[in-house]
Amino acid sequence: MNHDPYSWGRPTDSMYGQYNSQIANAPTSLEGNMASGANQHTTSPIVTGTSVVAIKYNNGVVMAADNLASYGSLLRFQGIERLHKVGKTTMVGISGDVSDMQYLLEILDELTIEHNYDNDEYSDNVDELQPDYIFTYLANLMYHRRTKMNPLWNALIVSGVNSKTGEPFLQYVNLLGVKYSSPSIATGFGAHLAIPLLRKLADSEEEAQKLTKEQAIQGIKDSMRVLFYRDTRSSKNYSLAVIDKDSGITYDNDVNVEDMSWKFAKDIRGYGTQKV
Amino acid sequence: MFRNNYDGDTVTFSPTGRLFQVEYAMEAIKQGSITVGLRSKKHVVLVGLKRNDDKLSSYQKKIIKCGTNLGFSLSGLAPDARILANFIKQQVSYNELVYGRDINIQKLSELLAQKAQKTTQTYSGRPYGVGLLIAGKDNTGVHLYEFQPTGNVIELYGSALGARSQGGKTYLENNLESYLEEESLEELIKHGVSALKQTLKDETLTVSNLSIAYVGEDQDFTIVDGYDVEKYL
Amino acid sequence: MTSVGTGYDLSNSVFSPDGRNFQVEYAGKAVENGSTTVGLKFKDGVVFAVEKTITNKLLVPGRNRKIQTIDRHVGCCYSGLIPDGKHLVNRGREEASSFKKTYGKNIPLYALSERLSQYVQAYTLYNSVRPFGIAAIFGGVLKSENGGDNKPQLYMLEPNGSCFGYKGIASGKGRQTARSEIEKLISADDFDIETFSAKDAVKEAARIIYLAHEDNKDKDFELELSWCSLSETDGLHKFVPKEIYDEAVQYAKEETGLGEDEDSEDNDEDMDE
Repeated sequence: MNHDPYSWGRPTDSMYGQYNSQIANAPTSLEGNMASGANQHTTSPIVTGTSVVAIKYNNGVVMAADNLASYGSLLRFQGIERLHKVGKTTMVGISGDVSDMQYLLEILDELTIEHNYDNDEYSDNVDELQPDYIFTYLANLMYHRRTKMNPLWNALIVSGVNSKTGEPFLQYVNLLGVKYSSPSIATGFGAHLAIPLLRKLADSEEEAQKLTKEQAIQGIKDSMRVLFYRDTRSSKNYSLAVIDKDSGITYDNDVNVEDMSWKFAKDIRGYGTQKV
Repeated sequence: MFRNNYDGDTVTFSPTGRLFQVEYAMEAIKQGSITVGLRSKKHVVLVGLKRNDDKLSSYQKKIIKCGTNLGFSLSGLAPDARILANFIKQQVSYNELVYGRDINIQKLSELLAQKAQKTTQTYSGRPYGVGLLIAGKDNTGVHLYEFQPTGNVIELYGSALGARSQGGKTYLENNLESYLEEESLEELIKHGVSALKQTLKDETLTVSNLSIAYVGEDQDFTIVDGYDVEKYL
Repeated sequence: MTSVGTGYDLSNSVFSPDGRNFQVEYAGKAVENGSTTVGLKFKDGVVFAVEKTITNKLLVPGRNRKIQTIDRHVGCCYSGLIPDGKHLVNRGREEASSFKKTYGKNIPLYALSERLSQYVQAYTLYNSVRPFGIAAIFGGVLKSENGGDNKPQLYMLEPNGSCFGYKGIASGKGRQTARSEIEKLISADDFDIETFSAKDAVKEAARIIYLAHEDNKDKDFELELSWCSLSETDGLHKFVPKEIYDEAVQYAKEETGLGEDEDSEDNDEDMDE
């Protein structure tokens, strides 16, 4: 047994002979050699936003993401909001490549404009844009793009409430077109650091049904604090959205991580000014 | 051969600003057999009289289902209606696949209108020679639309298309209050059949020439044909 | 009519010996018989009003809207062949969307007016198409934060492709009454656009439609009202809310002495529910 995880699930040399690494290292269009016919599109994100975290509660969903766009390890742009309102009862949280996020926003804006054509807001029964429509559309778009080997380098969380049924909605889709739903969802680092905290609050739909708005907000705030502690590409300043069945969307784009204690930091090598 | 100089194509206005070719296309609807559509707050019902060319042939389909929640009845050129049915089915499945939603009937009718309008402003092709009564349900409830070859699509409580449809329309106008507030689907269907009966001359309704369809807030679009219509005759 | 029988009026894109394009003029006839529409500019926006004659008792009240939205900040109404109007509005929406894609900003009204008139004009050039059988009134206000100048704009586009800006304009059957009424309103000594508010404009537009309807008294009608205003709708094009609509209709009836005893009253009230 080869214990190197990299080799798991791959063709064995004993069976197929040694892998011809020229195949993987063939020159691509990006390297100015079209002769190989190999074409590449986006292979990595450039300016990025880090985690988005969200959790359902008994009357809706709470979601947060910080307001930072990093260029590699450089914390390049502040005040970049990554939670966006679409329609009346949906927020889309976007992590990953920021230019792809901005492209997605243009698409979502056009989607809402087209939806509102000849849609009379004063009639008794308006056909609202629902979170699941927006999600299905985005998931199709992400899968379509990855199938063309030209993905939008993002992980998205769509959260909201169905304005007709009042049902909270929370779903995830990423650049591979993979989608799933859960009472709590986080992208990026948050999937490792925030999810355990959020699952402690609500591990199942039944438990999320019992969660109050205040508890959910507190859970998200705690997650954002832990993420700021440990994620070097995060910022203290973040946006918080609450999508409630009754009160609609409340959005604050200027929340700060509070109640931090950095006392332990003095013992960490590499933190602050080096004393050697 | 032509009635005047201005009715040879759809791209010529008459001196009074009329489009005769398009008006003639409207006449094609009247060549078809009668169909009646009406709705209450909760249901829409379509009723149609099917025709057969001769005794040995089958009856021409009068109602086409285009999705779980919608369909239409037609009067006029049936082949034209099939083209429109295919178009509607495409739009329905696009909305289902891309947005995971039931198509908005108003939106759909605007798309049909757009498609029909094109044929009235360009030389190539001709206007559609068919009128449709579209019945469907969506997030905003149940709807009944009338589609015309002119590119007009209007939402109504009731309408009738085809030969001698005026009698049906008059019935629908006179009984608007009673069927609009009708709770029961059965009663609404009966109103539809009564409206249809107003227009009959030589024909009698039978299990083979009556076609019924309904859709409701809690019911998918369903066509009732053959012996199932016996109780409404 | 001199045009009939000469043969010069049988095809689009053909000039008569005295330099006229009869098919375009005939398209204008379709407009003249169309329902009356009014557009009025006020301090911080525009208002649209349309008279919808009730041709069929079975129409669902409040549906079958005639005023349409081209972009969030642009409204449009038209007299003439309704399907042609929808065609034009669809084109307007495409133009607005393509402008936004290219420049990342909302389309200014003057740019939209130029693009639409170019489109309509192209339909007078070829014998494979016919001109638009509509006169479209469109306008709105683009907020400065969206790249506009906060100044309301109002245009009317005609079948020949000409498009002019107006302070107030009307088209369709009742245009003569309506236009002279608008003229009276705007040229009054005490009229000042800076004090002419959105709500005043809605009332006046309603009144003008009611006046223009007088020649057509025997037919019932529904009034449709929409506006686009910085103060009332944040620069978005919207239908007028029920309370303000009712107030405007009330005012229109009082001022014109029309409609109080007519059975059309019920229909009007139902309309904006």
